[in-house]
Amino acid sequence: MIYYVVDGSEDCFYTAVFDAYRQKDAIITSESNLQTELESRIVEVTADAEKAERVRKKLRQLDGGAENDIHLALRSCDPLRENTAFGYIRLIIEKGGPVRKMLAHPVVLEMSDITGKVTGELHKLKGFLRFMENAQGVLYAPFSPDNDITDLIAPHFAERFKNQRFVIHDVRRKIAALYDGEQIILTSVDSAEIYLSEYEKYFEDLWKQYYKSVNIASRPHEKQMKGYMPVRYWKFLPEKQR
Amino acid sequence: MLDARRLEILTESAKYDVSCSSSGSKRVNAKGGLGNASVGGICHSFTPDGRCISLLKILMSNDCLYDCEYCPNRRSADVPRASITPDEICELTINFYKRNYIEGLFLSSAVFSSPDRTMEALCETVVKLRKIYNFNGYIHLKGIPYADDALIMRAAKYVDRMSFNIELPSEKSLKLLAPQKTRDSLILPMKKLSAAREYDKQNKIRSGKVIPAGQTTQMIIGASPESDGQILRLTEALYRKMGLKRVYYSSYIPVVESPKLPTVGAGLLREHRLYQADWLIRFYGFDVDELCGEGDNLDADCDPKCAWAMRNMQLFPVEVNTAPLEMLLRVPGIGARGAYRIINARKYTALDFDNLAKMRIIIKRAKHFITCKGKFYGSESRGAIKAALMLDNRAENAEQLSMFSSPDVAVSAITGEI
Ligand code: SF4
Repeated sequence: MIYYVVDGSEDCFYTAVFDAYRQKDAIITSESNLQTELESRIVEVTADAEKAERVRKKLRQLDGGAENDIHLALRSCDPLRENTAFGYIRLIIEKGGPVRKMLAHPVVLEMSDITGKVTGELHKLKGFLRFMENAQGVLYAPFSPDNDITDLIAPHFAERFKNQRFVIHDVRRKIAALYDGEQIILTSVDSAEIYLSEYEKYFEDLWKQYYKSVNIASRPHEKQMKGYMPVRYWKFLPEKQR
Repeated sequence: MLDARRLEILTESAKYDVSCSSSGSKRVNAKGGLGNASVGGICHSFTPDGRCISLLKILMSNDCLYDCEYCPNRRSADVPRASITPDEICELTINFYKRNYIEGLFLSSAVFSSPDRTMEALCETVVKLRKIYNFNGYIHLKGIPYADDALIMRAAKYVDRMSFNIELPSEKSLKLLAPQKTRDSLILPMKKLSAAREYDKQNKIRSGKVIPAGQTTQMIIGASPESDGQILRLTEALYRKMGLKRVYYSSYIPVVESPKLPTVGAGLLREHRLYQADWLIRFYGFDVDELCGEGDNLDADCDPKCAWAMRNMQLFPVEVNTAPLEMLLRVPGIGARGAYRIINARKYTALDFDNLAKMRIIIKRAKHFITCKGKFYGSESRGAIKAALMLDNRAENAEQLSMFSSPDVAVSAITGEI
């Protein structure tokens, strides 16, 4: 086995695809998910823009939507994401066109599964993300998604808020999307200190009151609530705090 | 400033309205504005009763002139009364929206002073929210029966969705339980709105469309004696003749004591079966006549699709690799998503049971109705199939009760519901 270890950037991944493509027993993986056996070779891949572009170009010729599929798959928290995406590229090249609908093929099914989980979480968190307003009127939302979706979720809010500034902070990955009313910048942020607006508590309390009043207490269905709104997301929901 | 107590009264009074969905509108944000609408709808939280919170659902006032028997806000009820001003509503909506607590506003009201006065105040609020507060998020507005058409039409230009709730499925029950309302006072404005939508469509009007997300309505189930068959016939007409987006069913909860009302609630199973049948009518190509006789109720033991299949065993089994989409959709255990997956996948390779299992087809149910490459693994005897399906259904029921809260989102992409 030859393990191509990538650094998490897309360019690096596509470079690895370029290098590994002709090897029969190649596996592409990120450092943190690397599990080698004896007898295996490890290649540390450094991103090479030219190689990456050649792979991308080939893909674009064969399937206009493939790059986006891969963009999503690489955000997944699935440890095999790089290798699944690699298998997907191989299959596209082998078949000479889109393979998205060949759901009887294990690689396609796996791809559809992991990208589905990424877009699923993205959609859920568009609802569950919570902003608080600081004293300068900037909105701040801490969260901790399973998949690496900070830059995927930010445009949704930029579109909504137009000239309202905001910060979306993945506290576990320590990255944040900053929006200044015009553009989104992705940056690493360790921890943030927030001075809340004087109205913050007032509206938060009204929201908690609303949450309590709108519930029909005579018809409890906790299990369904938790099914739709998994407990791991509660940490950042004011309505679920005491 | 709005205090928690008033918010509590006005929310408590609004919460039995089940239409929570925020889907179906693509309103875009304008420069300097706040908010847009997402076509699929977004759920922002879930309450311990398992329902989704998408919109800030609130009454402008709960001080009602009318005396609908089932309503906690009716005139003769002894309950605390409260109201909220248009500006207070706007402030609250904007601030909840900014914090991403909600997707928009669902505004309704009891009829205070007069239908016109009430509709005017509702209208003023939504116009303000759009024009002064520059809010471009989702707004669902409840229509007030007997209000002037001009007011209703004006409001319709500013909101995404409107609803007049039918509440009771027959004129007779309306007379008994909501004596001030008539069928016409509810149906006529619905017809006008539907005609206005049709006009926009015919004339290809793009901006400033009336209620881009259409109309919905709600019926209370089990407060009056109508059968499922009657209810579903009304439903079918509302979808096919009036182009409604959704009909919601709310199983009766006895919040009010009255000799004219049952003392026990209708239970969630009946509501659940109605939603399943509703689904089959909208997305699976079923006619109500296939599902339920006029005076009958839906089968409690198994879902309406299974029940239909059991009555039509002569049509099965069908070969998965060749059956048309319309037929796949009718196979118990194959949902809309599954049927489309099959149609796509079989273009490339002939499918066997293993493939189907991986595509999340419920094999233990479907196997009695399909063959894969000619192979059949189901049971031959009707009795055995029925027993197996009912057992399966029972487990399912416990899981899926009160599907009414499920977000439209999950299926919308596949079923084309917009
Ligand atoms: S009109 Fe009837 S249902 Fe509506 S608030 Fe008044 S009493 Fe209640």
